[in-house]
Amino acid sequence: MSTVALNLRATWGRTYGRLVGSFREPTWLITDAILPNLGMLAFVMLYRALGAPRSFETLAVVGGLLATYWINVLWGMGAQFYWEKQSGQLQLYFVAPCSRMAILSGMALGGFLLTTARSAFGLFLGFVVVGVRVEPFSLPALLGVFALTMIALYALGMVMASLFLLWGREAYHLSNALYQPVQFLSGLYFPLKTLGPLGIVSAGLVPLGLGVDALRQVLLGAGAHALMPLRFEVALLVGLCAFFLWLARVALAHLESLAKREGRLTQRWQ
Amino acid sequence: MRPLVSRLRASAWLGLQIESNWTDPFLFTAYAITHPLATALILAGMYWAVGGTAQGADTFRGLYLGSAFHNYVVMVLAGMGWMIVEEREEFETLKYVYTSPIGMFNYLAGRSLVKLALATLSTVLTLAVGWFLVGLRWDWGAVHWLPLVAALGLGVVATVSLGFFVAGFALVMPRAAFTLNDGIAVALYLLCGVIFPVDLLPRVLQWVALALPFTWWYEALRRFLLGHGSSTLLNAWSEGALMGWLFATTLVFSVAAHLAYLALERRARQLGRLDQTTLF
Repeated sequence: MSTVALNLRATWGRTYGRLVGSFREPTWLITDAILPNLGMLAFVMLYRALGAPRSFETLAVVGGLLATYWINVLWGMGAQFYWEKQSGQLQLYFVAPCSRMAILSGMALGGFLLTTARSAFGLFLGFVVVGVRVEPFSLPALLGVFALTMIALYALGMVMASLFLLWGREAYHLSNALYQPVQFLSGLYFPLKTLGPLGIVSAGLVPLGLGVDALRQVLLGAGAHALMPLRFEVALLVGLCAFFLWLARVALAHLESLAKREGRLTQRWQ
Repeated sequence: MRPLVSRLRASAWLGLQIESNWTDPFLFTAYAITHPLATALILAGMYWAVGGTAQGADTFRGLYLGSAFHNYVVMVLAGMGWMIVEEREEFETLKYVYTSPIGMFNYLAGRSLVKLALATLSTVLTLAVGWFLVGLRWDWGAVHWLPLVAALGLGVVATVSLGFFVAGFALVMPRAAFTLNDGIAVALYLLCGVIFPVDLLPRVLQWVALALPFTWWYEALRRFLLGHGSSTLLNAWSEGALMGWLFATTLVFSVAAHLAYLALERRARQLGRLDQTTLF
């Protein structure tokens, strides 16, 4: 079997495991899909209580939908190696003949497909229960921006996953600590432009902010209160995709080697 | 009395070690306040974003105050459920705690003291963010100190009591506990008028909200600290009535939660779930 075919099969194998595994644990549906969207609903109601223009409610709904992907990247990608290490399975990934990137790609693909299916609940809450509306938009533009955002975001998740090869609780707590601050720095529930220069800096570091800003531009036009023109955001997202994929590859190789030297690759409860 | 204090102190110390010994104290403190501070900043960002167009700055400040005190619910109530998950699933030490002379109830109470301390720090910092970034102000001379302190105490009692209830459920439902802990905190965020008035809830949910001590708690804190509430519905109650409802709901919840915890702990033992690991 060629290397490409082997890695594609590994990717599919990991995707399959993720999809089937999640269907066997239906309570995770609540954690991954319902809870973050209920949080989004609270923010929409806050805008309503403040008498803000209706476009702000749509901003919050779009942000809330992307928050479910961010949760999946943090816990389904970043921290996955922690769970594997704790359950004593991490070493199986390393004795397999395929690339680690193929396994992580499978995790990303499976997580993305599941989260997309689960974001249907957020769409229902936003558009049916709360009744937000969007401007007429270009579907190819929406899908293109969404795809770029997801590639950059899940590539960031691969970088985070590599940290767990060497560290245990430290990296776990890092994932935990990043959850809410990144939501703030990405302007998930308000226009990123509100943060001024800080918004521009964070947009250059975390793809979530750029992605949500670009998606809002496609859906709301001027009502998105965008940080910068859409074409610049798309160009930056392409750059972030390439950078994080490269970084993930380098970080995986380096940290794997370091973890093996220090004997921490399979160390539980560290 | 002395053995009880000694047990609480021992479990609080152990809880602090479990939560913080992965790093140095400074980094741990920074980590512990990251989540509540970021939540406060999200609310501040929303306020800045609509500042020029929206109405009701006073309403926002009242809601922000509710969010600040909701840190207790997130950190203590949900945290007590997470203690069970960690001890049983991750460290696999729950059975040893259960068989130790401290006992589960005292152990949970002791560990909740650490959570209370962290929640207090987070609340103070959140209020400081509000003071400096979103114009959250109160007249120190006009604060109703006595009822404020009484309301704060009742709210903490309600939070810890419901925390025991959540911990009891976590004992009985190993896998679902993972979801239940955060689920209850989010549900209370939506139901109790934390960041939007309960007036905006459907009528049925308004009745549910009024049955919960936290709804009265947040409104009482707003009234006694800021001088105004955030809900037209709750404005109909006088300050005395507000405290009366807070006391009554807290009392009912505390007694019910205590009895429920003991029953759930017994049930978990009968079902053999005290050391049942499902995640790792």
